[in-house]
Amino acid sequence: MNALVSRYSQPAYQHEGHSDNDTQKQLALDVAPSLSLNFALPPIASTASWLRAMTDDHANPNVPIKLAHGTTTLAFRFKGGIIVATDSRATAGNWIASQTVKKVIEINSCLLGTMAGGAADCQYWLAYLGMQCRLHELRHKRRISVAAASKILANLVYSYKGMGLSMGTMCAGVTPMEGPALYYVDNDGTRLAGNLFCVGSGQTFAYGVLDAEYKYDMEEDEALELGRRSILAATHRDAYSGGFVNLYHIKEEGWVRHGFNDTNPLFWKYKLEKGEFSNVTSQLV
Amino acid sequence: MEVLLGITGKDFCIVAASKAAMRGASILKANDDKTRTLNKNTLMAFSGEPGDTVQFAEYIQANIQLYSMRNSSDLSPFEVSSFVRAELAKSLRSRSPYTVNLLLGGYDSIKQKPELYWIDYLASSAPVPYAAHGYAQYYCLSILDKHHHPDISFEQGMKILRMCTDELKRRLPIDFKGVNVKIIDKDGIREEPYSDDKQVYAP
Amino acid sequence: MAALSHHHLSSTAPFAFQQAPPQNHSGEPTQHAFYPYTDNGGSTLGISGKTFTVIAGDTRSTSGYNINTRYAPKLYPIGGQGPTHKGSKIVLSVVGFAADGRALQERLDTVVKMYRYQHGCEISVKACAQRLSHILYNKRFFPYYVQAILGGIDEETGEGALYSYDPVGSYEREYCRAAGAAASLIMPFLDNQVNLKNQYEPAAVSGFDKKQLVPQPLERPQVEELVRDAFTSAVERHIEVGDGLQMMFITKEGIEEVYFPLKKD
Repeated sequence: MNALVSRYSQPAYQHEGHSDNDTQKQLALDVAPSLSLNFALPPIASTASWLRAMTDDHANPNVPIKLAHGTTTLAFRFKGGIIVATDSRATAGNWIASQTVKKVIEINSCLLGTMAGGAADCQYWLAYLGMQCRLHELRHKRRISVAAASKILANLVYSYKGMGLSMGTMCAGVTPMEGPALYYVDNDGTRLAGNLFCVGSGQTFAYGVLDAEYKYDMEEDEALELGRRSILAATHRDAYSGGFVNLYHIKEEGWVRHGFNDTNPLFWKYKLEKGEFSNVTSQLV
Repeated sequence: MEVLLGITGKDFCIVAASKAAMRGASILKANDDKTRTLNKNTLMAFSGEPGDTVQFAEYIQANIQLYSMRNSSDLSPFEVSSFVRAELAKSLRSRSPYTVNLLLGGYDSIKQKPELYWIDYLASSAPVPYAAHGYAQYYCLSILDKHHHPDISFEQGMKILRMCTDELKRRLPIDFKGVNVKIIDKDGIREEPYSDDKQVYAP
Repeated sequence: MAALSHHHLSSTAPFAFQQAPPQNHSGEPTQHAFYPYTDNGGSTLGISGKTFTVIAGDTRSTSGYNINTRYAPKLYPIGGQGPTHKGSKIVLSVVGFAADGRALQERLDTVVKMYRYQHGCEISVKACAQRLSHILYNKRFFPYYVQAILGGIDEETGEGALYSYDPVGSYEREYCRAAGAAASLIMPFLDNQVNLKNQYEPAAVSGFDKKQLVPQPLERPQVEELVRDAFTSAVERHIEVGDGLQMMFITKEGIEEVYFPLKKD
């Protein structure tokens, strides 16, 4: 109750004058709901190119601020719903910043989002999307469609186009009106509906394994296995991907999590039990 | 967007190379052969800087053939790979290096084993069970990681190759006009007919 | 190749701004004259245990090859009463650009205090952690040049809670994290000693029998020893780390501060 009252009543100091003062503004910001859209900008004309000079380690490996990057994520539709799978590695330049990132964001019980690109961008905007989806639910007394949710995100990132956001995400969910639905949204504003997407630096390797055996009429365990194996393939060949395989299955009733499994024992299982990865030898040539 | 692929199996080596010869925005030729036969049981596929590729390949070809004539015996695939690597290394340190990436497929008739060497323009050479150059690496190596085994039969090898070329047709944005497929085994080198009429779509 | 630094005083003025203009690939200086950052070096570390969290940082502040001071704390208690932060149970550590770090600390502190004035209760670490993420992201287009670690006690379970951040606010709860100049030296050590990475049960040596050791929450004396080892080792191999080690232990009773001198060369 306290929280509600304080949120919707104005703080007393706002009537004390000097409200256009900088510190007052800052204070007002500090009290405002924290997911706000008032972003600080550097005091120069070309903010986007300045930001690039400070943070784009792809163009110049010696940038002062290295942001967390790099990924393999995939999602595909099949007769039993949607499989969503990701790796868990975050890199800043050559540095592995984390091996335990959760790249699947649970927007609500029937909607998942995946993270690729800038870790902070994805985390922040998917949280924002989660908020918008909940508001939609409250206003309309029914859950938002995946199409609408993905469009909120696409319109949002499009409004920041050219500012340097970096995200490649997938929105996947099952709703009564659409059935299983999958959308790809990225930072230049592209929004595509589809059956199968792989996103991130390891996408091609995941596509390789996935395309070769993908059928819409797969059984559930077959589909889960294919998702897991595709991520493993990408972690094996793409240095920017690795860590754990994070696996989800979205059904009509909502999503189910199928583990966060270490890639190393997984790799040896496929190698020793099935004889795959025959290029890996213990012999020196 | 040139494609080179190599797969070894129990008693054979498959080498596939894309048929398109591209310059700028145009495809100049749609049945280009990016391979050269070096001797009875070694074949070289090449991609890279236009001009360099054929020059280098034919220079190697001439020298390997010369060796065969002078000595009335062929170099083994490993020996050929050493020679090629040495030539590339020499070229790399010259005024105008060859920018050529290679796959060397062969059959060693003494060991009775197929061999495949992955060689790049920086003169790295590695014996491998399967290999790719260019964009094909990004799409095909994960397929080969999963489906390749050292003792596969020729039919299985061709099946895996089909999976690879289908994936490339599905995902590469430029048409590479299919591939030429050459087989190296105990009987020598032959071209394998490879149909290219099936359309493949992204799901 | 290791470079033994020598005679830097003779050729360049001892200002941090000197080293600032970044060089791009071609070696030409980048176009932007606006470069509001400098790196003040140093390293920080956090480990969370069953009933506590420790946040530690060295106290050296550098600009290029110069040492500004041997005692500049990187650890800040957040919230609590008055200027001494009495009763606070959250610690923020920031490493990178010290001025940005201070600015960030002040904003988070204001937010946490305003929260108490409005709600009449202390903010939870979970909420504080999310708020810090949003503060960092609010400067997405003009980032704080900092790597932050936030430590506290999880109110729901009573366990230690530790959150780590990138400069623009992506965050994750972890058991241990090193940040700053010597992160690449300390983090692998922590992975091995805290999360027991690459340690297997000694009985089974190879193949499928190999069993990864399961990490257990550490006790405070062990943790304190790990922190000291991490920093004394980092001091041996990194020029920007040294002088003093400041540790803050956060328990349900509050914050206990420990200072440990490091080598001053």
